[in-house]
Amino acid sequence: MLDFFTIFSKGGIVLWCFQGAGVTESFTGPVNALIRSVILQERGGNNSFTHEALSMKYKLDNEFELIFVVGFQKILTLTYVDKFIDDVQLHFRDRYKNELEQKGALKHVNNTFDFEDRFKKLLREAEESSKARSPPPMRSFEKSEKSQKTVKSMIETKGGDKAKEQGGKKNKHTKKEAPAVEPAKGDQGKTPPSGQKAVVNGNQGLSPEEIIQKKREDFFRKRMMGPAEKPIKSPKPQKPKEKQNRVWENAGSSAKNLDYSNKNGEASPGDSERNLDARFDPDMQVSSMKGDLLSVDYESSEEGEMEDEEEEEVVVSETSKTSPKKSGGFGGMFGMLKGLVGSKSLSREDMEPVLEKMKDHLIAKNVAADISSQLCESVAKKLEGKVMGTFTTVASTVKQALQDSLVQILQPKRRVDILRDVMEAQSQRRPFVVTFCGVNGVGKSTNLAKISYWLIENGFSVLIAACDTFRAGAVEQLRTHQRRLNSLHPPEKHGGRPVIQLYEKGYGKDAAGIAMEAIAYARNQAFDVVLVDTAGRMQDNAPLMTALAKLIAVNMPDLVLFVGEALVGNEAVDQLVKFNQALADHSMSDKPRLIDGIVLTKFDTIDDKVGAAISMTYITGQPIVFVGTGQTYNDLRSLNARAVVGALMKA
Amino acid sequence: MGKKTDAEMPENPLEPYIESIRQQLEEQDPVLLVGVIVALAVVIITCVFLKYFLTSKTVRSAVLLVGLCDAGKTLLFIRLLSGKFKRTQTSITDSSAPYKAKNDRGSTWTLIDLPGHDSLRSQYLEKFKSAARAIVFVVDSAIFQKEVRDVAEFFYMLLTDTVVCRNAPTLLVACNKQDITMAKSAKLIQQQLEKELNTLRVTRSAALSAQDGSVGGSVYLGKKGKDFEFSQLPMKVEFLECSARGSKGEDGGADVESLEKSLAKL
Repeated sequence: MLDFFTIFSKGGIVLWCFQGAGVTESFTGPVNALIRSVILQERGGNNSFTHEALSMKYKLDNEFELIFVVGFQKILTLTYVDKFIDDVQLHFRDRYKNELEQKGALKHVNNTFDFEDRFKKLLREAEESSKARSPPPMRSFEKSEKSQKTVKSMIETKGGDKAKEQGGKKNKHTKKEAPAVEPAKGDQGKTPPSGQKAVVNGNQGLSPEEIIQKKREDFFRKRMMGPAEKPIKSPKPQKPKEKQNRVWENAGSSAKNLDYSNKNGEASPGDSERNLDARFDPDMQVSSMKGDLLSVDYESSEEGEMEDEEEEEVVVSETSKTSPKKSGGFGGMFGMLKGLVGSKSLSREDMEPVLEKMKDHLIAKNVAADISSQLCESVAKKLEGKVMGTFTTVASTVKQALQDSLVQILQPKRRVDILRDVMEAQSQRRPFVVTFCGVNGVGKSTNLAKISYWLIENGFSVLIAACDTFRAGAVEQLRTHQRRLNSLHPPEKHGGRPVIQLYEKGYGKDAAGIAMEAIAYARNQAFDVVLVDTAGRMQDNAPLMTALAKLIAVNMPDLVLFVGEALVGNEAVDQLVKFNQALADHSMSDKPRLIDGIVLTKFDTIDDKVGAAISMTYITGQPIVFVGTGQTYNDLRSLNARAVVGALMKA
Repeated sequence: MGKKTDAEMPENPLEPYIESIRQQLEEQDPVLLVGVIVALAVVIITCVFLKYFLTSKTVRSAVLLVGLCDAGKTLLFIRLLSGKFKRTQTSITDSSAPYKAKNDRGSTWTLIDLPGHDSLRSQYLEKFKSAARAIVFVVDSAIFQKEVRDVAEFFYMLLTDTVVCRNAPTLLVACNKQDITMAKSAKLIQQQLEKELNTLRVTRSAALSAQDGSVGGSVYLGKKGKDFEFSQLPMKVEFLECSARGSKGEDGGADVESLEKSLAKL
């Protein structure tokens, strides 16, 4: 029922593959998609991935640098797959240990791995084991317990006389022997005879002696637990003839008990005496509140006993733990030496403390909390089972791996060259449209002005579309920028036409319509770039998100930039997810335009708490195109991944 | 005893002090003296050896296989080493193996296959670029038209790297996937790349500097004022065609003779 199973090295060479019966499509595409989206984007926390109709599970073997991938149809739910992968991995490793331990990539190239028979056997076993767990067949009537009982015992009469007679003989036996046994055990408390009777009725299948034995054992076991008084259960459920007054157990039976006036009468003169009395009161134990407060439970006495038991168990287990520690003292020393020499393989427990510390460090550096945990999880998966090199500690290996994965996340997954793309659009005689979106107050208009300055400096003509028709002064702000930039680059120097123009239609109009008109105007007037400024909006505001999605879906800009400030913390995740969601939901086409790039603003306000960059790139997978580092026209930079990761990992 | 009194006179000027040292040395046990000299000699020889070995490590003996994702680097790697065909997936780490060139000298290089994925490219290149004797840039000839800008950007990054410029390794551009009918020829690819790199020179130098002030790659390709041509570069650039899959598909051999010949000429 599997579609395929591949084993390939991390260097890309497929060592062995299996294709299910009747499957004609090559699995190279889906597996590549798995590698690119999960492993390379450090989303290795959970090990399953869906691609179109296929669902894939994978496992990394870090010691031999192998990847095991299994693929099956998404609609099937196969329960044996996880265990199956583990089994296959163990078998493969055991069988080809010698070949895999050679150095270099030649081992992958030259050796042929004939794993077919073993694999088929394992697959058959796995499938059978999953079938064996089918629901057990229903028992036939003969086998059930009900057939063992007599009809009479199951009759519940009001007085219970007949049942009494039935069980009476048994009771005589038990009563005779129970008192005989009791004195032997000493003063252990009351016996619940009626309780015994009720159970005896049901056990008439067994012989009376066995029943007595069983009951005795239960009884004595319960005595050992402590002086817990089990409430006596009445054997017959008596239907009340009339509605009886409910008697609360804690409440007094009369109001008299609630009158404390007598007791409190001698409060003032007798207080000191009372206090002294209280101190010498033997019933009240002075140090009973020491230590942790007991939890708020009614049956505190029972809890106490349970806790005692648990404490004993804990103590026992601790002693059992410490004894191997002592005997493992020498082993520990050798283990340390082994770690130094470099044949120790990393396990989860070794990495846990380091990863915890790294996670806290990342959170302190303003990376969103769940992204930090996902990152650490993915790094743990990548390093599990890896053999460390000489003289490397666990901490240094984990730190290095985390650093590599952070650099990998920040590296753009596609080419980021705005100028080249503008030139391309220029050659196609159409304007290059960039849309800026984001929440309120992140710096959209300021950074739009900076980017237009940069484009003008490189010889392109810019049209600003004022699609922020809501905020007071938005259009005037852009007009001021336009005037300033025109004065910096006067039209005489650039062929007689102004390098930057503003297309605005005032306030209160529909933003999508203005954008469309602006793009048409730019095409007519042969502008190179159109920068569309939109109003800031919160990601939870559904109507505004719909409006933004409509603007983007209708106008199909070349670049959709999300402007986010570097000061944002966990909010970044929410913002980006909701923005992408809105853009995907409200677009008509199959391939909706999502966020293509991120502008990280206010970068000068954070010193080294640069975690927002990581959060944003991790969530969207899109590169950071611009970094805003100030409030003048020159404060526009590009991202240097290594410097950011260096600042992030710095202690 | 006399030696000690000689040594205990620090206020003497240098010359008599040296004299006293010489006297001491001559009066010392010759075995001890010989021992000291031997120890010194051993230390000096070890230093020399260390220096020799350290420098020999930087003798560049690696041939790197670089290129975009899905260009065919890993299959080319397998073909060059063994001639067999194996299925491949996207690489996420590098693979290296010794390769025996088909020439009379029988020189062995280390063939290193680097992953082509965008996020991994730069960090692996950083690791291996200093040891590169030659770089084989694998290009997918069939979809070259669509990818020309990405290919050119990677090429530009490679050419403007300071280490690569300093070492000037031989650049072999292998136009792979020639078995597909739509594949472009090596000459066409060369012309297109030259045109693209010409444009990139301008846009890249106008690119924004990084936020900590560093400006990447201040090397200007080729000669200013003239159109960019590969002959203007300090390193040798050669374009050749090959097909890792081979014209007969999976069972036949690969057409990598031209690549092998060029590798032999290194």
